[in-house]
Amino acid sequence: MEEYLKYQREHESEGSTFATCAVVNRETNSCAWPISQPKPENAITIAVSSRVLFNMEREQQIYERQGMEEYLKYQLEHESEPFSPGPAFSFVKALEAVNNRLRELYPQSEELFDVVLVTNNHAYVGLRLIHTINHHHLLIERFCMTGGNSPIGYLKAYHTNLYLSADSAKVREALQEGIAAATMFTPEKMKEVSDIQLRVAFDGDAVLFSDESERIFKAHGLDKFFEHEKAHENKPLDHGPLKGFLEVLGKLQRKFFHKGLRMDCPIRTYLVTARSAASSGTRALKTLRSWGLEIDEALFLAGAPKGPMLEKIRPHIFFDDQMFHVEGAAELGTVACHVPYGIAQRLAEK
Amino acid sequence: MVKMSVDPAKAKDLQICASSNGEKGDSWEETDELQEDRPGLAAAPKQPKPENAVTIAVSTRVLFRTEREQKVFERHGVEEYLRYQIQHENEPFAPGPAFPFVKALEAVNSRLRQLYPQSEELFDIVLVTYNHAHVGIRLINTINHHNLFIERFCMTGGSSPIGYLAAWHTDLYLSADAQKVREALAEGIAVATVFMPEKQTEVSESQLRVAFDGDAVLFSDESERIFKAHGLDKFFEHERQNEDTLLDHGPLKGFLEALGKLQKKFYAKGQRLDCPIRTYLVTARSAASSGLRALKTLRAWGLEIDEALFLAGAPKGPMLEKIRPHIYFDDQMFHVEGAAEMGTIAAHVPYGVAQKRQAGK
Repeated sequence: MEEYLKYQREHESEGSTFATCAVVNRETNSCAWPISQPKPENAITIAVSSRVLFNMEREQQIYERQGMEEYLKYQLEHESEPFSPGPAFSFVKALEAVNNRLRELYPQSEELFDVVLVTNNHAYVGLRLIHTINHHHLLIERFCMTGGNSPIGYLKAYHTNLYLSADSAKVREALQEGIAAATMFTPEKMKEVSDIQLRVAFDGDAVLFSDESERIFKAHGLDKFFEHEKAHENKPLDHGPLKGFLEVLGKLQRKFFHKGLRMDCPIRTYLVTARSAASSGTRALKTLRSWGLEIDEALFLAGAPKGPMLEKIRPHIFFDDQMFHVEGAAELGTVACHVPYGIAQRLAEK
Repeated sequence: MVKMSVDPAKAKDLQICASSNGEKGDSWEETDELQEDRPGLAAAPKQPKPENAVTIAVSTRVLFRTEREQKVFERHGVEEYLRYQIQHENEPFAPGPAFPFVKALEAVNSRLRQLYPQSEELFDIVLVTYNHAHVGIRLINTINHHNLFIERFCMTGGSSPIGYLAAWHTDLYLSADAQKVREALAEGIAVATVFMPEKQTEVSESQLRVAFDGDAVLFSDESERIFKAHGLDKFFEHERQNEDTLLDHGPLKGFLEALGKLQKKFYAKGQRLDCPIRTYLVTARSAASSGLRALKTLRAWGLEIDEALFLAGAPKGPMLEKIRPHIYFDDQMFHVEGAAEMGTIAAHVPYGVAQKRQAGK
């Protein structure tokens, strides 16, 4: 064991980075190689907070009502009790399913999902989190326990591609630093989702695209919006905060397509937009194409409610910039995340 | 009759940001400040809420002629197909069999908006297609080229669109794919496979005409079962005996009901003779021997039908040629083919005992 750890430290910068907690079988005193963790810059790093990965409502209430010391005491007392799954749980499980498929096809590649637990929590709570992770057979080896400090700096260090949190202040901070982030909400009752195919649904304006068109709509109304979109049909929209995340999903999808697995691809993406197809759809589709991004399914709703569509799609996660749509989706059991970006936020605050 | 009152000035907001899942009342975003320089804009036709409208879902293959593209797909696979579509993106498709039907729906909508400007009880057309989003641009170009108003798209990129139909509150689904049509029927959605007529027949641009077969389309197939099992005489006997027992409903009953609801809106404004919707029953039933039960059933359902033809076995083709419906629904391919031969846009409803017979042949 000692030799092994010494070897690790000496060869840290070579090749794949192995997690520093090796899996040791105490009975046989042998050491199984853990699954190799990709280097952050090669992987697609998803940072999740503990409150979205697990259900920590009770603990959260204790912290809010009785303060830090009570909270820590409670956590320590219940250390062996695993938390139950939170809204991001099935998303993370699906990421792992995709990783398994990727490893089968490309055993040497580091282009995988990498999940990092980023939490304000004090290190004391770490044991309970680890117990929970092992209880649920999750593979989360990277932790970032900031004990109260802002995690934003760490997000950058981890080359984070997506940050999910229950705390909208942190999400805003991350967005300002150019990190794709969203505030995740727990639906009243979560619908069952696939455990073999990752499904991610995006709103269009102010999520994938910038909010430039939404500004026109809010300032001048629908007709001007249509006029403007038609006039600028061939001018790509500027990009929005989640464009990069769709891009990395597309990159992974193409790895499956190359192996002839287009129809059986374990990643599926959806555009669920309130845009009207004939009047304003062309610009959106042409923009995606100019970015070289594909989207598997596109729904132009022309104002119809998104909730029932999402209920049919069953995404693991849905991103929208307007709380109205996020709430509508959550009502029908979809795990919906708010991207606090763009003109819709200013108006929502009034 | 539920009337949705929508203040026109606020109506624009409905489109992009305010639609709820139908349960919440008005939740308009507060945008008054920013809309000061927007005096009385001429309203672009606003999209109704799916649950208020009569939603017609059409696939691309029935709305437009896509045979050439279909061949590319079948012979060379999906990548070639997508490449072909993108290359020909600026070439609009030619109209398909459901095209005149959709145009007529829009004509009815125009009349409805004139009479009831605030109402959401309109036809709403959704394009539901297996197609990948890449083809979307060509479809949008085509729609704009033909001046259609289709703002709702559902491009499923290869997965089944059937699940979305219920979410759209679909009242009628028209497809060219028999498999999808069966799937939808099994989900309880009114659906039919539309066939291209062999020769072009002109249809009205100002009056929507819809023709229905009776048994296994408007009505259930219970009587047809008796006929097929025991022959015509037993059928007549059974119908007479059960004259006052209502027939069970068939897959298209709901659609006739939706048409009737819209028709009544015109009658209420004194436009019965000038109504832009006209419905026809074209049945092989014999009037005296089995007609009563059919008519009594319709009456009990509170459904009117404008014209009823009891053919007692005479061919339907010439009748339909005279009627010139935008669409004709029948459960038997024999009648569908006969109609298409004479230029009628005929749609097959694969429901009931007649299908087993066809499958067995």
